[in-house]
Amino acid sequence: MLLFLARRIGVMLVTALCLTFVVFYLTNLPAKLETLAKTQAGARISDAEVASWLDRNGYNQPMLTRYGEWLGVVPGWTREAADGSVNGRCYRLTSVSEPGAAPTRCGLIQGYWGNSTRFRADVADVISSRLGATGILMLWVLIVMVPMALMVGVLAGMREGSRTDRSLSTFAIASTATPEYVSGVVFIALLASSTVGLSPLLVNWGVIDGPVLFQGNARSALEKITFWNFFLPVMTIALYGMGYVARITRASMTEVMTQQYIRTARLKGVSFRNIVLRHALRNALIAPFTVIMLQIPWLLNGVVIVEVLFSYPGFGWVLFEAAANNDIELLLAASVVAVVVVLITQLISDIGYVYLNPRIRIS
Amino acid sequence: MTHKKRKATELHPAAKLYAREHAEGKLSRREFMTRATALGVAVPAAYGLIGLTAPAVRADTPQMGGALRMQMDIKAQRDPRTWDWSELANVCRGWLEYLVSYERDGTVQPVLLESWEASDDAMTFTLNVRPGVKWNNGDDFTSADVAHNIERWCDASVEGNSMAGRMSAISEDGKLREGAIEIVDDLTLRLHLSSPDIAIIVNMTDYPAAVVHQSFTGDDPVANPIGTGPYLPVSHDTGIGAVIERNPDHTWWNEGNGAYLDRIEFVDLGTDPAAWMAAAEGGEIDLTYQTTGDFVDLFEMIGLPATEAITAATLAVRFNQDSPPYDNVNVRRALQMAVNNELVLELGYNDRGTVADNHHVCPIHPEYAPTGGTPFDPEQAKAMIDAEGLGDHEFELISIDDEWQAASCDTVAAQIRAAGININRTILPGATFWNDWLNYPFSSTEWNMRPLGVQVLNLAYRSGVAWNEAGFANAEFDALLDEANGIPDADERREVMAKIQQIMLDEGVLIQPYWRSLYRNARPNVLNAEMHPTFEVRYQHYGLA
Repeated sequence: MLLFLARRIGVMLVTALCLTFVVFYLTNLPAKLETLAKTQAGARISDAEVASWLDRNGYNQPMLTRYGEWLGVVPGWTREAADGSVNGRCYRLTSVSEPGAAPTRCGLIQGYWGNSTRFRADVADVISSRLGATGILMLWVLIVMVPMALMVGVLAGMREGSRTDRSLSTFAIASTATPEYVSGVVFIALLASSTVGLSPLLVNWGVIDGPVLFQGNARSALEKITFWNFFLPVMTIALYGMGYVARITRASMTEVMTQQYIRTARLKGVSFRNIVLRHALRNALIAPFTVIMLQIPWLLNGVVIVEVLFSYPGFGWVLFEAAANNDIELLLAASVVAVVVVLITQLISDIGYVYLNPRIRIS
Repeated sequence: MTHKKRKATELHPAAKLYAREHAEGKLSRREFMTRATALGVAVPAAYGLIGLTAPAVRADTPQMGGALRMQMDIKAQRDPRTWDWSELANVCRGWLEYLVSYERDGTVQPVLLESWEASDDAMTFTLNVRPGVKWNNGDDFTSADVAHNIERWCDASVEGNSMAGRMSAISEDGKLREGAIEIVDDLTLRLHLSSPDIAIIVNMTDYPAAVVHQSFTGDDPVANPIGTGPYLPVSHDTGIGAVIERNPDHTWWNEGNGAYLDRIEFVDLGTDPAAWMAAAEGGEIDLTYQTTGDFVDLFEMIGLPATEAITAATLAVRFNQDSPPYDNVNVRRALQMAVNNELVLELGYNDRGTVADNHHVCPIHPEYAPTGGTPFDPEQAKAMIDAEGLGDHEFELISIDDEWQAASCDTVAAQIRAAGININRTILPGATFWNDWLNYPFSSTEWNMRPLGVQVLNLAYRSGVAWNEAGFANAEFDALLDEANGIPDADERREVMAKIQQIMLDEGVLIQPYWRSLYRNARPNVLNAEMHPTFEVRYQHYGLA
């Protein structure tokens, strides 16, 4: 077990290293650095000013050296100004100005995530506060998605080929075949517009007071989550994942329902309701459990689209902003977080599978 | 500057001319109204000029109190003189004020200055500081503060300090020239210029010219909000939003003429107008920062009427006179004649602007002289081209791939083709277009607005200047422009301007089809929040009905 964990963590570290290097390379291409200088020091600055800005901010060293600085294996750059004051990567990150007071190395290993150029703040602060917002969104997504998916899957899989099965399967396939950027827009048009869709009808009938049924923008959810401002983003993500999980649950359920022990129970005279609840359900839920855990990284994907679409500033939104503004250290931190999320959910799914299915052993 | 203000009863001469054009059927009522009001004619007076009574006008004094939410990008703050986006300035307008301000009608009004005078040769400017202005930390606002700020603006060693270029007449070696500022007393100071520059005061209306306290050293005006205005920031989150509230412990010098709102909230909803629309429908914002394209109408549909600001931003479809056959004035004039500018505005820019007259001076410029434009006569155009022996020549019009610019050039080319002249269209991607924009024989360039008519002419049409993409070199034009640059009074300058504009027309320098308008949508109960031609959001004057 310990060996298994160690191996998993090792894989995680190697993956993170490779991914961050790719991100680092792509964000540090010369043209990208020039864009960065222009967004930081003024859009209309001259080429000479760009060069001087890059030089003053430590961007003119070889790429590998700077990747090492970010990791914390190479000493951070320092620069002595004409008046004797010293500046450098570690001076900025620890906000000290006395010469010699800052540590030599200040990278990820030492616990410094760097500074976000887009938000002018500590990357760790930006990531942690935005990750919190996404956490709440994901929590609600899972609360909506998991029971719905299991219910649809189990109901469909109980009697393979029945009318219930066919209609629920159609629904599940349709929902998982509709990407977030389509369903989100359709939802907004249908439920959150005062001129088209459902809202004008409801206003006409006097059912709702405001101009729209749901809010097509989740910004206010940052301060206070209500059913009306959080429903659309949650449903947009949940529907996409729901269809997939429901399909897996259905497949697993139909398989269990053909097992010998179900037939035995049936012949014994156990009621259909009891067969499903007592005998089939537990075994049918093993496969969906792993799929739900693996679905979480996929949902992070959808979170980027949905958070930007509904202007909800969470992790996906930060990723979008960082990419759009070539915010190097924020992008690197976001990729590390993504790797950690993927591998932790995989780990949970592997370990959980062992507990759910006694036939499997981790060796 | 004896900045002569017309009396309230006195009308802009151009407005009367427009009224005549309206009577002759050359101008629609709507266009007459936008043009006349852009000249500073009050709406009822403008209706009066064309013999109509104004529709019921709403009371314009907002009530005290209330909160407003506005969609606007919130960017990471930095030193005001290095600001490169108007949004950065707009957040701070509640506490950082300006010496002078650029108004929607094209005039420059005093703010922290009470008045200013220019010598007749535009070489010496006397600035009178407004008495009784206090910083919100209790300090008095004096001429020393003004001198300190001007010195900051002149410092070209700060990367991205765009004010340095605007203050070139009082700087030397990238900093304030010794003796350029003379502090006369606590409320008076004098600027001594090295060359005449009537734009120096106008340049102080630009958004990076926010006046900061002498103790300001850092680069974040939100973290240390010492200013003269009536508001203070409460929170400021890049990419998310900013909240500003009235400062209860400070007496604003302009008390009673603003600071109506208790609280202003800026909401950053990203760049997708569809998201702003969804937020407006959900009641999360009361007004937009700027609305473009079809969204102007869409917002109107959901109950947020649009306001329009006429600007001097434009598309210059210019000929390069260094490349044949455009060195021939008859060819240039013929191509101008083949194009009906109204049609370009309608098809290329959805009629969201004002028709222009091919001389790159806008009616909102204070020195604008109404000269009329080029006649539209495609038959004459074809005859002239044939007479030059270019009947079989294939012209080529180059443009960038930007949507409205390409559409406008398509309309220009289609009209030239309709006149029977061969023309080819080339569209270049943005990445390659700008590498050679000065040298294309016949192409279009987007120009942003400058408050004075002479400013763009100085930048783009004077012989040999860096941005002279038309290759225009005319000694008489240069001499007249020099003369105009030395006349501080707009009315006097207008007489010279009439000659300059006529030269532009006679020489057929460019096809300049329209002036672009800017739009903002706001709920009907939001007052004083009309769109501003240079994107200013002066929320200290906004209010609720």
